[in-house]
Amino acid sequence: MSLLGALLLVLGGLLLVLAAWGVIVLPDALARQHAATKAGTLALALVCIGALLQVPDTAWAWRLALILGFLLATLPVASHLLARAAVREAGMDVAVREAPRVDAPPG
Amino acid sequence: MSSLAVTALVVTALLAALLATWRILAGPTHADRIVALDIFLAAAVALAVAASLATGRTVFLDVAIGLALVGFVATIGWARVVESRAGEGPQ
Repeated sequence: MSLLGALLLVLGGLLLVLAAWGVIVLPDALARQHAATKAGTLALALVCIGALLQVPDTAWAWRLALILGFLLATLPVASHLLARAAVREAGMDVAVREAPRVDAPPG
Repeated sequence: MSSLAVTALVVTALLAALLATWRILAGPTHADRIVALDIFLAAAVALAVAASLATGRTVFLDVAIGLALVGFVATIGWARVVESRAGEGPQ
């Protein structure tokens, strides 16, 4: 159990570095926001579960669950707002407005 | 074994913060900088968990809870500021 926890902690750290590396190498703010929020969320989830496996204790368990719950509830919202800010700042409003809609009739 | 994993977590989180610092300095848009701040938030939460694993105290987990909430509000605030200034021409 402790070995699995240690493995998850290291994996979470590596995924965090991967997220930061994506923020460095990806071409624009929209793509960077994807790397940061998706990989970052998974990295923190792995770290929290790894810590839970390291210390099987109630006081630790509910705090870690609270952290994980807050992150899972808030990071998608933050991701959405970041994407909207990136689109507005890059002046892509017009392209977004003129893009074909899912419910639009064909042709 | 466990302390080795905690050390690895601290080193990787600091490396992630270093890479995010580069993105904050380089920009080029404000949205990029907020994304890098998000990485900082994730690294800070990971470091707080690592601190509580290293010391065996739960107080650092409370710090991580606070960080997660404050970081969310900060990200939303900055995103709204960037959005509202987007139409005002070059920065």
